[in-house]
This record gives sequence, structure tokens and C-alpha cells, in this order.
Amino acid sequence: MLEGFKILSRPEARVGVLGWGAYIPRQRLRASEIAGLWGFEPSIIKALWIEEKAVAAADEDAVTMGWYAAKSAITRAGVDPQEIGAVFVGTESKPYAVKPSATIIADALNVSSKKLSTDMEFACRAGSEGLRIATALVASGTIKYGLAIGSDTAQANPGDVLELTASSGAAAYVVGPAEEAAARFEGMVTYITDTPDFWRRDCSHYPLHGEGFTGDPAYFHHIMTSVKMLMEELGLRPEDFDYAVFHQPNGKFPLRVGKKLGFPKEKILPGIVTPWIGNTYNASALLGLAKVLDSAKPGQRILVAPFGSGAGSDAMSIIVTDRIIERQEKAPKVEELIARKKYISYAQYARSRHIIRRIV
Amino acid sequence: MSKAFISAVCMTKIGRHFKLGIKNLIHEVTACMEEKIGSRPDYLIVASTFSALQTHQLDVASIATQYLGWSNIPSIRVETGETSGIAALELAQYIVRSGAASKVLVIGVEKMTEYPSNKVNADYAKILDYDTEYVRNITPPSYAALVMKEYMRKYGATRDDIAEWPVKMHANAVNNPYAQLRFPVSKEAVSNAMVISEPITLLDAFPIGDGAAAVLVTNESARSKDALEIVATAAATAPPLYLREDITELPATKAAWASLKRKLDACKLSEVALQVHDSYSIYGILALEAVGISEKGKACQVIPNLEYLNVGGGLKARGHPVGATGLYQVAETYELMLEGFAGKQYGGEYALIHSMSGSDYNARLALLRRW
Repeated sequence: MLEGFKILSRPEARVGVLGWGAYIPRQRLRASEIAGLWGFEPSIIKALWIEEKAVAAADEDAVTMGWYAAKSAITRAGVDPQEIGAVFVGTESKPYAVKPSATIIADALNVSSKKLSTDMEFACRAGSEGLRIATALVASGTIKYGLAIGSDTAQANPGDVLELTASSGAAAYVVGPAEEAAARFEGMVTYITDTPDFWRRDCSHYPLHGEGFTGDPAYFHHIMTSVKMLMEELGLRPEDFDYAVFHQPNGKFPLRVGKKLGFPKEKILPGIVTPWIGNTYNASALLGLAKVLDSAKPGQRILVAPFGSGAGSDAMSIIVTDRIIERQEKAPKVEELIARKKYISYAQYARSRHIIRRIV
Repeated sequence: MSKAFISAVCMTKIGRHFKLGIKNLIHEVTACMEEKIGSRPDYLIVASTFSALQTHQLDVASIATQYLGWSNIPSIRVETGETSGIAALELAQYIVRSGAASKVLVIGVEKMTEYPSNKVNADYAKILDYDTEYVRNITPPSYAALVMKEYMRKYGATRDDIAEWPVKMHANAVNNPYAQLRFPVSKEAVSNAMVISEPITLLDAFPIGDGAAAVLVTNESARSKDALEIVATAAATAPPLYLREDITELPATKAAWASLKRKLDACKLSEVALQVHDSYSIYGILALEAVGISEKGKACQVIPNLEYLNVGGGLKARGHPVGATGLYQVAETYELMLEGFAGKQYGGEYALIHSMSGSDYNARLALLRRW
């Protein structure tokens, strides 16, 4: 019983996910079109497992997408926006360099003005840190409900290998008391070091990366460390989880890191979204989690491990409750958003993503 | 002049050592060497091609002595493009033979993974003539591709014939604990790999990796029990590729070989332990022809029969931490002849080591003999 006591004593165990929401823009660009344009080796598409990516339209950005995902999350949660005491937006593509995105989204959702609200930046895991902080605020009794959003219109240097995957999308989570939750947190840990694997300098349009350095010393080291730390603290093994969701810079990395950690493919595939929508950066792992929650059953245990360059990884264990069933149908599911698509050309992509610079 | 010997060797595994800087790599092989010889050398030579460009360090040899806590030791850095390692060996044996020092430690070191590959490749292209070739976007792989195309046209060699080279190199590297690419490849995989510069594919080209190797060159009195004699070294330069009559020849290698071959007693070259420079598959093949192991245009056929050819996997699969490569060639040969290496033991008398820079802009040979 000591184990059980240890788990219950974790503050995050008093908190859970009440509602979740997703947004994926309709436009899709085929990876083969990008590869063809720049003369990439066709085999790279298979090696990365990337088929197509979602592209935000000219009138979409991290705020509009984040708002949509948050709206769905609040609908699923069934809470009064006036009772939400914190709104955090994790993004690395905020429309304003100075001026919070979170305030725009919060007001558009009629969230109470008596709140904490800020944009967060930690490459692809700022939204995940927002989720951790919102959870801590609920656990401490500072707020009743919190809203954490990950939303990005990720930039990629034209012709860089990242252009195959860098895409747009958003995911949002309403957290609150565990008694009201569709899925309760069992434990959360985070592992962070100074690892310069990927970065974008101030005023630079596009990020740069350290190629192979983004793999073993960054993605794999951080995720494996955080997940092992979590399993050790909770006394859990890969067999104890029904699903494992990892950050998805491409389709292959989550499968590979899962294999290294001892998770079979079948537990990872349900949370995979990147091959069909690309890497949505701050929404990447959180959209994978949303996809799993869309069809999860009460009692199931989910591992989610986002990763952000720079670098850090969170690992969370989540247990689905009976309340999930009624909430699954209340908002668009990730699979529906993935299926809702129209193909565009690279030229239309260039226009949508403001790659064509013109004076207006 | 007195004789010069290779009395001890050390190697690190080649790879992407993200946690090791150039000084750490130097320290690894130096610590190994100190353990083996139990004393300090009286001269330090560091071969490093890119230390100034990739790690921003000039005079890396003196900085190395500071890092190692050595003082009152002469030190020098040697850089001759891709042959830096053998150039350092060449210098070391002259120093020993002259009597200026009795134990010269030669360290080859390269830190290649500090930057993304576009910078590494750009710096690598600086082994060619900067004003004439580099600024016109000519790179070593594009030259190698021209040479391979011409070789295939002139001698009717097929893509699969050339693939004999990487297939053998990868097979050898599987047994080399210090190799960067320890996996076998098939001819099909070579042909289907990503194109680097048509017809050269990824599996015709060396990988980018960090590494360090050390060789102790001594005179007779400081010679260890297990030693190889450095019979002779030879070096030559050649005109740029665009001024050559026949780009399928390696003129610097041929010139160096001409001055060396009379020192090799009447033993069959195909039975000598060989290390040749194969930054790209085609160059390994041309090197065999340049030293007369095969007739022009026929080297692909002899590759499978050469048991002691690039036993560590060559630049192709062992890896090519550029300034260190020549010393890996020497260290592997030393172990092959005295201790056994990569699952093989060579019982013969001689070993020939070939190193060249770019399209044979300079070539260096070392002839070693069992003592």
C-alpha cells in the first residue's frame, strides 16, 4: 500500500483533464511535392515517414487555431469560461513578438479577466509546460480550472529537410479537480538540460538545427530520461500502459524511442498523427494525446511524453475515467480533422505561409 | 641516419562524439599512450586538418601540451589536407632519424561534428584551390563523380563493379571496434543509396566523424619489443584535376610510388598488407591501379581477392576523421601485424600505406616492415 500512498501524495494526482480539443487546418501539402521541388532523395520521405503536412491558410495563425482547439476543450469540459483562472499558450510562432497571444484567445473565449495568462516558449514543449503549470495551480488551490494550449504555424527554411514536416495545428486542455476529470493525472516529471539542438535567433524567419545532434543527444536522451524517471517514481513498467504518446517530429522517431523504452508499436500507433499532418510543434504530442483520448476507454493508462528542443521532455501518466465517454462526442475528433482536407500546391503553400515576400 | 620505428599505437572509436571536444579526444589517445609506454615523449606532433576551421583553434599542438600538463616539449601541428596524418608520420621519422628526438608522439585528431554538415562540407572543399576551384563551387565529391564517370566510360566498368569497394570496406569494418560504420552493405544498397553527386551515392562516400589516433615513433634505443620499422616514406604533389590528360590516373600517388617501390624487396604486392585512401569508392580502385596491383581498368576484379586490403574498413566504413585518418591506417596496420586486428592477423613482412588529398593533389606513402 506504500506505493499507492506515494502516488496519492503527488499533488498532480488531485488534478485531471476535463476537456480536450484540437485544430488542424484543412490545407495539405504532400511531402513528395516538397521533396520534388528541392531535389531531395525520394527515399527520405519513407525514412522519416511523412506523407503530407497541414498548412495554415493566410487567415489562420497560432491564435485562431489555438482559439478553436480551446473552444472544443471548454465544450468537452462543460465548464463556465468565467471559472477558468489561467490561460497559457505554448507557441514558437506567435503572431506578435511582443503582445500576448493568450490574452487574445482568453477574451475571445470569454474567460474571466481575473486570471493568469501568458505565452510560453520552449520550442515544441512550451504547451506541455503550460499544462504542468496549470495543473500545479489547480493542485495548489490557486485556481479552479486552467486552460493550456499548444499552437503553432511552424516555420521551416525553404529547402531544409525540416520543411517536409514543419506544419500547423493546435491542441488545448482544460484541467481541473480530479473528481470532475475525464482523465486523471497519475504523475508528471520533467527533465531539462541546455542542449542546443534546434533554435531560431531573434528576428530570424527560420530556425536552424544541428542535424544528427537533434537525435540521440536531444530527442532520444531527453524523452528516454523523463519517461524512465516517471516509471521509476510511479513504480510502473511499459506493460502497465495502454498507450504511449511521444513528441512526433516525424513518423519514425516516436516509434524508435518507444521501441528503445520497451513499448510495442501497437501502443504507439494510436497516438501517431505526424505522417498525415506534419509536425505541429507545440501541438505535436498534445494532438497525439487528444487522438488517443478521442477513443480511450475508462480505466486505461496513457503515457504522454512531449519534447522541446533546447532541450527538455515531460513525461506524464494519465488514467482515463468513466466521464470520458460522454465527452468524446462533444467536439470534433482528431481523426475527423485529419480527414477534413484539401490538397494545395507548393505555390499555394508559399503564399499561405508568407514565404513569398511582397510589398503591400 | 638511424632507423625509425613505430613502437606503440592508440585509437579512439570514430563517431559523433558530441560530448568530446578536440582536447578531450587528444587526451583520450594520450592517456592510452602513457599507459602503454609509461613515460612521456620528447616531441609532440599533432596532425589536424580542420582544427582552425571547425574548432577555431590555431596552434592546437601547443594548446594540447597545456591541456595535458606537459611543458618543455617541442610541439608542432601538421596540415597537408587529407594526408596530414601521414605527413606527420613522415616528419616524425625525419626527426627521429636526425637524432633530434628519440620518442616522437604523433597524434592525429579531428573534430568534425561541431557544425551542421553544410559547413563541414564547405570546409572540406577548401582542400582544393580556394581561388580557382572552391569559389566556383567545385567540391571533392563532384570531382570524384567526374573521375568515376570517366573511369566507367573509359574502361566499361559498371556501377556494380565499383560497388565491390564499399561492400568489402563495410564487411571489414564490421570487425573493427573503432570503426564508425559497423554494418555490411550489399551492391544493391550501394546503387540505391542517396545520390551525393551522380554517380556517387552515399555508400560510396566516407562518413563525417570525430576521432583521434596516436602513433609513437622512436629510434632504435627507445624501440619497444613490438615494433614496426618505417622503411621509408615518399610524397609528391600533382597538377589540378582540370589540367590532367587522364583524370583516371593518380599522378601524385604514382610519383611517390615510383620513388618507393625499389625499397620493397621482391615480394608480391598483392600479398602486402595494404591501406589505401578511399574517400570515395573510385579513389580506392584508382589507388590499387596506381601502385600496380592491377592493370588500368581492372582493379574492381581483384578487390575480393585482397585479404589484407583496408582491414579496418577504409575511409569508407572505418571513417575519415580527416587529419587522424593516416594514423588510423598506421595503427590498424601495427595491430594487424603484431597483435591481430579486426579478426585478422597478417604474417607477412611488409605493409604499404597510401594517403592522398582531394583528387590526389598530394599523395603520401609509408612502407612499414616487421622488425
